[in-house]
Amino acid sequence: MDNDYFSIDAILAENQKFQCTFKQEIPDMGHLGGGSERDIQVQSKRQIPIWLAYTIIYSDWADFDIPAAFGPKVRNALKAEPRSVRLANLVGAGGSWYGFGKTTMDILSDEQAQVLSEMLTTTFKGRLIEVIDQAQHFAALGPVGASGNTGDSSQAFREGLDATERDLFTLAQESSKKMKRWYEETEKSKR
Amino acid sequence: MSHDRRVLMSLPPSLRTSVTPTELELIASQQLIEIIPLIAMEKTAFISGAYGPLRPPHRAKIPIWMAVNLKLKKKCHIIAPHWLNVEFLQARLNEETTETGFSRLPFRFSEISKVLLDVASDDIPDAEKIRSVLKDLCEARQAKSREGLANLDQGEFSLPNFCSMEINEVRPFFVQSMAILQQLYRESGET
Repeated sequence: MDNDYFSIDAILAENQKFQCTFKQEIPDMGHLGGGSERDIQVQSKRQIPIWLAYTIIYSDWADFDIPAAFGPKVRNALKAEPRSVRLANLVGAGGSWYGFGKTTMDILSDEQAQVLSEMLTTTFKGRLIEVIDQAQHFAALGPVGASGNTGDSSQAFREGLDATERDLFTLAQESSKKMKRWYEETEKSKR
Repeated sequence: MSHDRRVLMSLPPSLRTSVTPTELELIASQQLIEIIPLIAMEKTAFISGAYGPLRPPHRAKIPIWMAVNLKLKKKCHIIAPHWLNVEFLQARLNEETTETGFSRLPFRFSEISKVLLDVASDDIPDAEKIRSVLKDLCEARQAKSREGLANLDQGEFSLPNFCSMEINEVRPFFVQSMAILQQLYRESGET
C-alpha cells in the first residue's frame, strides 16, 4: 500500500483497471481495449490498467470513473454494516481493496479523495476488531479445530477479507499461537 | 532501502516487530529473586555479575535463571516475589474489572509468574489459586486491549501499564494496522 519501489504490495495494488473515457482521439491504439477498431475514438470507454492510467489521466487525455468497488452501492452497504461486505469480491482474488482505494484516492481531486479516505478508514476500523477476534479464535482452536464451524456469518466474513486484512489476520493468528505455545510448554517438557 | 531494513525483510512478518515469548522469558530471567539455598557455594563471578555466597539457611539473591536451575536440581527453595500471591493479584483483578485503565503490575509479571509457577509451584503458597487468578487477570486485560484496538487511529496510541508480554503479543498487528491507517488517512485540505 505504500509507494515504496520495492514493495510487492504496492505493485500488486496496481494490478487493477480504471474505466477511462477518452477526451481525445488516440490513433492506432484501439487494441488497448481489446476491440477490433484501429483508433480510440473520443468518448469511447476503455478499461485501462493503473500503471498506464496515470499517464493518460495526468496528460488529460481521458477522464476516469471512480471504480465500482468504491461506488455508491458499495458505500451504502458499508455504511449499513462494514462487516457484511465481501471486500475480496470487489477487487478480485488476492486483490487489496484498501490498496486499490489508496491508489484511487491519490489520483482523485481533493474533495473526492477526502470522502474516499473517510470511507476507507471507517471501513478498516469497523472491520478490524472482527478480523483480530477471529484470528485469535482460530489460533486458540489449533490445527484440529481450524475447520470447526463458527457460524455462517463469520465464515462469510473470513472469505470476504481483502489481502490487507488477510495479512493482519495471519499476523494476529501467529502471534496468538506463539503465546499459546509458550504458555503451554513447561520447563520439564523442555528437558 | 537501508541495510537494516533489508535484513529485517528476510524475517517472517511476525518477527519483524516483535520478539518471541521465549526471548522475553530469557530477558525476564535476568531479574533477581530471593532463594533459600540448600547447598553452600562461595561467591561466584558470572558475566552478569557476582552472586552468592550461598549459605543455607540464609536467604540469597540470585538471578531467576540460576534459581530455576538450582530449583530443578532440588538445591534451593524459591521465595515468591511480593506480588505473586493470591491477595495481591486478587486486588489487582478487582481493580481490573471495576476500573477502566490497566491495573499496575510488574512489567514482566507474565514471564516471571509463568516460570516460577512452572518450576517452583511447591514453594509458592496457593499456586493453583494464583494460576486461576492470573488467568482471569490476563483475560480481563485482553478485553481491554481489544477495546484499545477499537479506538486505534493513525497517529498515536497509548495503553498505560500494559505489560511486556501483552505488548509483544499485540505489537505486530497494532503496528501494521496503524501503518495501514496512516496510508488511508488524509488530512482535510491536504494537497
